[in-house]
Amino acid sequence: MKRLLAVFGLLLVSPLALAFGLDDLQKQLSEPAVVSGPFVQEKHLRALPQPLLSKGRFVLARDHGLLWLLQTPLRQDYRIDANGIARRDPSGWQTLPNRSAGAEQNRLFFAVLQGDSSGLQRDFELALSGTAQHWQLQLTPRSLLLKQVFTRIDISGGRFVERIELSETQGDSTVLRMPESSAASALSDTERSDFAD
Amino acid sequence: MPTERLLPRLFLGLLLAMLAIAGWQWQRAAPLSADLMTLVPGATEDPLLKRAEQRMQEPLNRELLVLVGHSDREQALALAQALAAHWQASGLFETVQWSLQTDLQALREQLLQGRLAMLAASDRQQLVEHPDAFVEQRVQSLFDPFTGFSLVPSQDDWLGLTGRIQNSQPKPANVALDTASGALIAEADGKHWVLLRARTLGNAFDLHLPLQVAELLAEGRLQADKTGAHLLAASGLLHAAAGQQQASREITWVGGGATVGILLLLLLAFRRWRVLLALVPVLVGMLFGSVVCVALFGQMHVMTLVLGSSLIGVAVDYPLHYLSKSWSLKPWRSWSAVRLTLPGMSLSLATSCIGYLALAFTPFPALTQIAAFSAAGLIGAYLSAVCLLPALLAGMQLQPARWPLQVAQALTRWRERLLRKVPSAVLLGLLMVFCAAGLWRLSSHNDIRQWVASPPQLLEEAQAVARITGYQPTSQFYLVRGADQQQLLERLSLLSGTLDELVDLGKLKGYMSLGQLAASPAQQAQVRQALAALPQHWQPLLNLGVPQAALQAELEQLQHLPTQTIEQVLAGPLGEAWRPLWLGNDGAGVAAIVSLQGLGDAALLRLQVEDLEGVQLVDRLGELNQLFAATQVSAAELKLLSCVLILALLVLPFGLRGALRIVALPLLAALCSLACLGWLGQPLTLFSLFGLLLVTAISVDYAILMHEHIGGAAVSLLGTLLAALTTWLSFGLLALSATPAVSNFGLAVSLGLAFSFLLAPWAAQRPGTRAAQEHA
Repeated sequence: MKRLLAVFGLLLVSPLALAFGLDDLQKQLSEPAVVSGPFVQEKHLRALPQPLLSKGRFVLARDHGLLWLLQTPLRQDYRIDANGIARRDPSGWQTLPNRSAGAEQNRLFFAVLQGDSSGLQRDFELALSGTAQHWQLQLTPRSLLLKQVFTRIDISGGRFVERIELSETQGDSTVLRMPESSAASALSDTERSDFAD
Repeated sequence: MPTERLLPRLFLGLLLAMLAIAGWQWQRAAPLSADLMTLVPGATEDPLLKRAEQRMQEPLNRELLVLVGHSDREQALALAQALAAHWQASGLFETVQWSLQTDLQALREQLLQGRLAMLAASDRQQLVEHPDAFVEQRVQSLFDPFTGFSLVPSQDDWLGLTGRIQNSQPKPANVALDTASGALIAEADGKHWVLLRARTLGNAFDLHLPLQVAELLAEGRLQADKTGAHLLAASGLLHAAAGQQQASREITWVGGGATVGILLLLLLAFRRWRVLLALVPVLVGMLFGSVVCVALFGQMHVMTLVLGSSLIGVAVDYPLHYLSKSWSLKPWRSWSAVRLTLPGMSLSLATSCIGYLALAFTPFPALTQIAAFSAAGLIGAYLSAVCLLPALLAGMQLQPARWPLQVAQALTRWRERLLRKVPSAVLLGLLMVFCAAGLWRLSSHNDIRQWVASPPQLLEEAQAVARITGYQPTSQFYLVRGADQQQLLERLSLLSGTLDELVDLGKLKGYMSLGQLAASPAQQAQVRQALAALPQHWQPLLNLGVPQAALQAELEQLQHLPTQTIEQVLAGPLGEAWRPLWLGNDGAGVAAIVSLQGLGDAALLRLQVEDLEGVQLVDRLGELNQLFAATQVSAAELKLLSCVLILALLVLPFGLRGALRIVALPLLAALCSLACLGWLGQPLTLFSLFGLLLVTAISVDYAILMHEHIGGAAVSLLGTLLAALTTWLSFGLLALSATPAVSNFGLAVSLGLAFSFLLAPWAAQRPGTRAAQEHA
């Protein structure tokens, strides 16, 4: 799942190029300082007739990191920044132990966040199609390790990323939709304080 | 004369036999060893403990850990890959690994099979005591986008046990997996460091391997420099290589320096090229020494060779005994000079051998080897000096230079003048004050690290590797025994409780114990039981839409999972890193190692487990250091014993008074040397003590020379001076060794020799009357 977030983060700011090239897409996505909006996450598990549905809000700040605020069916706030992943409990943000796999994902996420395209291209084959208003990007894993986890990742959108679909080798998939994102030039006060401590 | 023809022939026969044996000993491979551990006492007779020690030693002696660093990640990876391919092709290594290609399917299977056996203690506790919280956490993790991807799909593990096991696996602190390449990468100092691990086919005590590995690494460094990369390496092999290079360098310097010095001295004093034949006993001595050493111990340690090369100076004393008579004996004839000095030489051989052999009774194989080498070497040198050399020197007319005798005469006159002003008793008093003050300042220090001289660069690199990877193995470990796996795992878990406290307190960085990987049969049963009660708590999962039938089926499956043994858990891919810790069943029970990370206080570590049954801290280095200190006492006792033996030997020819005088002087010289070490601020080590033990034996020789008084005080003093100079040339050079133990030994012997020479004149019978006679 974290990979999914990494990809999501990447796509909002990534420098990748084609006719409507990866460079153009990167420029387009990294333009706003802050992007925020609601998200819907559907987890399709082979054994379940209905997907596991969860909803919330996200705030991606180019210079700070990502806030991921899960609202239903349970409330839980997450934050990814240069210090790692933190989860909020009643006493404040708790940085999660930096695990090997997690640290790698984090690194990837931030390499991308900071405009290091080699970060993603080393792990995935990238194929971009469509126009600036309506584009699709397909990521196919390169390494043996990732191939054993993901079949592919499809991302699509216009001015912002709108949909990410992650297909796992085991047959499950996750769809992340961000239908109504909007740009802002600065963080709100609450958001700023969420990033601050 | 028949004996003068018979002796050389008999000796040549013996020499040929020795040469044949030596040829046979060296024909297959050089019987040399560089293994430090063969030099120290085998502390344990316990086969299990021995096996555990070997298990912990093995990676040190066979593994090479290299960090390939570059500011550019791709370049670092490319170089690591190229080096790995090159090294693999070298044929030196069993494996060279830079990239992990994990078989995830095998991992999934192990996680599913181990859901009862591999659940971490804290997760198990939560499941048993707070099943509601356990279920709640599972619900959360199903929505949590940040828990990391789970290897096992949710429908195969609704309860999330595999995810918990996966997350509880200890991870190397600073090393992260690069998913694209499978490499392990650490980041530090603005560089990406790719971890490269190689395991050699042979071990560090193979004589050629360490040098080959060091060479390969040096090539790698050159290659790295071209691309602006940097290599950091840590391995026992590199220390072995450095040790070998240093030993051969020192053998060359000490042996070569002593030989050149002695040659010059001989030439200057005797002014005949043929006196250089005096080195024949030296060569014969070396031959005898190495043959006997290899015959007794199967091999010879390089340190024996380094210390043994100082034998040159002692072996050359035998020919000097009769060569120095050329100043008084006119005309000088080799055989008659030998006959004249034979009693003194034989006594000197006997006393030296007693001194050396006293070393053999210490519990140190190192010293036993040196003692055997030296005693055999001295006997060889003595025999060749008595049987062969006189024949080689027959017919030579010796007209030695006058100046050495003049020097000796001047020294004798100074001494007499001094004694006229200050009587011996007062001098003795002053000397005692000097000794007392020096001894008061003397401190004792023993550490196994004195035996090795690791180049600082190697140590710095090893520290850098430890810092960057966060991997800091210690030499101490725990050995835990149990009657069966259940008891063993119970004991391991008690130990874990103690160690966790130490980690929390910052006294220990971490540890690895099988208890972290596998639960005991009783704990597995406990999990099974707790799971049976879970349906009362899993409503939140049902609320998400998870079908009750699926949960029931999973529970059913879990209830029937067979109890796993330690062996079964270790067999899977997750068990790989833990396998060295398992010692298996030895008939009496089962045992495991708990390895430690980061510097630990051995005393604290021992104290913590005092009341834990079946747990033993193994601290080989600490024990050795203690043993060193304890051996100092027994060494002092040996010294006294050897003096008693020498005294008994000398009573026959010299009477009790003379014998006492001859033995007391070397002891006084040893005392003065100890005081000198104190004044110089040098610590007293086991090695300096052994050096002094040796000096007592050698300097008895000088006292005998002076006491016998053949050819007058000045000639005797000259003989002593030459003998002391040659001996000092070889031992004095040992003081320059980079190995603290060897240099300490050299320093102590040098000091001892100097004092022995200064004090030797007092060995003469009734010095006053002798001096009076000479003046008359």
